[in-house]
Amino acid sequence: MNFICNFPFFSILLSLFSGTVCSMLPAKAAKVVNRVVIITVGILSAILLLYLLSTGEPFVYWMGHFPAPWGNEIRAGVLEAGMALFFCIIMYLSMAGGAHKLYGEVVESKHNLYYILVNLLLCSLLALVYTNDMFTAYVFVEINTISACGLIMIRQVGRTIEAAVRYMIMSLLGSGLLLFGLCIMYDLTGHLLMSNIKESVSLLVANGEYQIPLIVSVALMCVGLCIKSALFPFHAWLPDAYGYSTVSSAAILSSLVSKGYIFLLIKIIYRVIGFDIFNSTRIIDVLFVFGLMGMIFGSISAIRENDIRRMIAFSSVAQIGYIYMGFGMGTQAGMVASIFHILSHAATKSLLFIAAIGLTDVSNGSRKFIDLTGAAYRNKWAGAAFMAGSLSMVGVPLFSGFISKLLFSQAAVQVEGKMLASLIVLGISTVLNAIYFMKTVIRIYTPVKESSYSGITFREMKGYAVVLVCFIVLNVILGVSSQPVVNMIEQGLAMFA
Amino acid sequence: MYLILLPILFPILSGAILLIFFRTSLKGNEKAKRKTLVIISGSLLVITALLTITALLTAKESFTLFYLTETLPITFAIDATGTLFSLLAVIVMLCAGFFSFAYMKHEDHESRYYGYYLLVFGVLNALCFAGNLITFYLFFELLTLSSMPLVLHNGSKEAVMAGLKYLFYSLCGAYAALFGIYFIYRNSTTLTFTAGGVLNPSTVAEHGSFLLLVAFVMILGFGVKAGMFPMHAWLPTAHPVAPAPASAVLSAVIVKAGVLAIIRIVYYIFGANFLRGSWMQTAWICLTLITIFMGSMLAYREPVLKKRLAYSTVSQLSYILFGLAVMNDTSLTGGLLHVLAHGFIKAVLFLCAGAIIYTTGKTRVDELRGIGKEMPLTIWCYTIVSLGLIGIPPTGGFISKWYLATGSLKSGLPILDVLGPVILLVSALLTAGYLLPVTIQGFFPGADYDYGKLEKQEPSKLMTVPILIMTVLSVLIGLFPNLITDYLTAIVSAVL
Repeated sequence: MNFICNFPFFSILLSLFSGTVCSMLPAKAAKVVNRVVIITVGILSAILLLYLLSTGEPFVYWMGHFPAPWGNEIRAGVLEAGMALFFCIIMYLSMAGGAHKLYGEVVESKHNLYYILVNLLLCSLLALVYTNDMFTAYVFVEINTISACGLIMIRQVGRTIEAAVRYMIMSLLGSGLLLFGLCIMYDLTGHLLMSNIKESVSLLVANGEYQIPLIVSVALMCVGLCIKSALFPFHAWLPDAYGYSTVSSAAILSSLVSKGYIFLLIKIIYRVIGFDIFNSTRIIDVLFVFGLMGMIFGSISAIRENDIRRMIAFSSVAQIGYIYMGFGMGTQAGMVASIFHILSHAATKSLLFIAAIGLTDVSNGSRKFIDLTGAAYRNKWAGAAFMAGSLSMVGVPLFSGFISKLLFSQAAVQVEGKMLASLIVLGISTVLNAIYFMKTVIRIYTPVKESSYSGITFREMKGYAVVLVCFIVLNVILGVSSQPVVNMIEQGLAMFA
Repeated sequence: MYLILLPILFPILSGAILLIFFRTSLKGNEKAKRKTLVIISGSLLVITALLTITALLTAKESFTLFYLTETLPITFAIDATGTLFSLLAVIVMLCAGFFSFAYMKHEDHESRYYGYYLLVFGVLNALCFAGNLITFYLFFELLTLSSMPLVLHNGSKEAVMAGLKYLFYSLCGAYAALFGIYFIYRNSTTLTFTAGGVLNPSTVAEHGSFLLLVAFVMILGFGVKAGMFPMHAWLPTAHPVAPAPASAVLSAVIVKAGVLAIIRIVYYIFGANFLRGSWMQTAWICLTLITIFMGSMLAYREPVLKKRLAYSTVSQLSYILFGLAVMNDTSLTGGLLHVLAHGFIKAVLFLCAGAIIYTTGKTRVDELRGIGKEMPLTIWCYTIVSLGLIGIPPTGGFISKWYLATGSLKSGLPILDVLGPVILLVSALLTAGYLLPVTIQGFFPGADYDYGKLEKQEPSKLMTVPILIMTVLSVLIGLFPNLITDYLTAIVSAVL
């Protein structure tokens, strides 16, 4: 076995232990450790990705010395490695973009605590991406929840504590349901490793045994993960959690944490239940309907919002709806579109959060639209970045959002029964997106005669501006040269089989 | 080969540079600053125009810039239809651009205006040169985005709301069209514009009726930009609030992007043979006739001059769409001819309105008594092009309407073949009714008018010369129509 095959294990372990190390370090050193770890993991994932692309074969890695049905396993394919790399990029940029706000919003003595949480979160995300074992997945789902709660709560104002409690309750409900589903699945199949469960499940389906418990188990797991990834109507925890936490947390939560759960769901669909068996259940119709409703209601809530951060948060509900709509189509093309949208939304949403903070900072910290008037002139880089993010969200060509809409609609045209519904809702939701994002863009670009707020120049925020530019470039790359990415997603999905 | 890219990239880049760097990088007092700005923008504008004409004359091959996805190239190619629209765009953009150097003196944020003006120029060129539907769509969206700042230029509440309205209508329309692009993408061999259409015969046999619906939705969607009923309401709101030269560009060129879009999908994607005689054609013709009549009616009742002209644009654009919808050679020639005629005429009308606003500050038609005595040259030009728009020979409007009416009569469509010319005539009457009062009251203010307070208020040469040039052009179209109709015949015979 090639040495590179150790990399997934190294990345998980590295981020886990660096978390522990951070607890003993002063804040500055913890920050450095955190950055170094994210970069290292990113590089490891990139090498792994290249290796997998060259071999074209996924590999399974034993954790310990026990073979398949007993031991714990890690599994890596192109999609896993690519996701890990992408998560690292987004996490690094979000941390770098929000670093300056951390000093204002989090007590100095708790900074290293913050980095512990981020490292733990990275560790759990990587584990969710790589693991081949359902129970390990469950354990890291819990770790993920706990660190996410910490990230919300670390900025200690009333709203965040309330938001964290809310998030905790909803998330635990989600993981509880996941655990129920898992128990039933274990009961039915006697296995915890994904590949083994899949064999047993296909056997059960072929023999027509235990149909209802099987469906119930799948449904429980789906609902559990839907709650955790804030699919409509389980999104009530989301606006406060994203809206009031410190900005890096918001960016990470919206673009990575929810995506980690969705990725786990994809793995469950492909690796545990089997794509065809999953599609033959009615669950995909339910996901489809709730996806569509999320697309519309999320946007409507966003339109009614008067707070820029909460508006962006509500827009996440709509975007998660897109992803589930792709699942609900029940085709390979729909799945590819959803995975592309995971990437596209992660790149865009974190950009919007980071840009919004630049705008609110030059408006005396106020997030109300009335105060944001003309903010783009006071912080030009944030204004331009917010506009780029908005255009991507609205789906203007050249940005990533257009490609994901294109992929969704191409997928929709292939599904006879769901074509009209998805295209119409796609259209409505795009227009709704346009309403609230363009409203905001115009608001921040409306000139004010005399502003009581002072602007900020490039010299005072070099690091921040560079992060914004990186985000925009990432968006444009996804929008202009999407074909390699789509090819990689298809290759990765093929490796799931 | 790269020549085709220059008229697109150069104005876009120079516009962006103007937008980003101009305000901070200049020293000196306001007047000197303005002079530099005008000189820079003017030369950029002229260079762009020269580049465009060079590209039109020399670039023959198509050029693929990059691939959006494996099967979606961003391609530029110049064909006869694109050349026609591009020429109109160059002339109007140049004239209105020079007009704005004088006009924009009394507005703020001049550098922003010129920056977006250049952006719009580049995007318009890209639209004319777009070689396939996806490229076209890309720049159609960009056109909306880059022209919106021209609408909300003065930043007042009214202007911003008008800009938003423009944005929403345009985006909704574009998405309706995108909805159709998905279907075509799936049901055709290519998205490249090909005279006669690109649909697979097998698809037509299988999904024929559904494709008609798709075509109708796309025409409605792109028709938003061309102010077609029922999605015309943005136009009379958005055009008047922009600075006058920007209104001229909006009314004369940018709305033509919607017309070009419809030409492209009807004649280069679906193919006229597929659509002719279907319910879709009937419905479309009805919509255009409703728009023609309604636009003229609304213009007739409107007291504010610029708004009146905007309603007139709604009506006149549907003349063009009517010509496209009838789908025979004569009507199509008429429609294309009216693209040119209306482009020049409407630009002159808006620039005249701008000159009046600039010198006197008057916006309502009933305030304009005696204006002809004060600004004789401007109002003479106004009168000449008005006659053209009404359709009195020997001006350009007469020829195009002649073709439209005869095309309609020989189309053989039940009822509509006669109803069309009737409505065209009624509307021509209304056009006279809403345009000529300015002339009549301007030159003949009546016996009770106090001639003593008249003063010479003719605007500067920078304003009158562009108006004069386009007036002459609009008359030339009417005097020597064969030059153009020969050119149009080539287009028409290729696509029909």
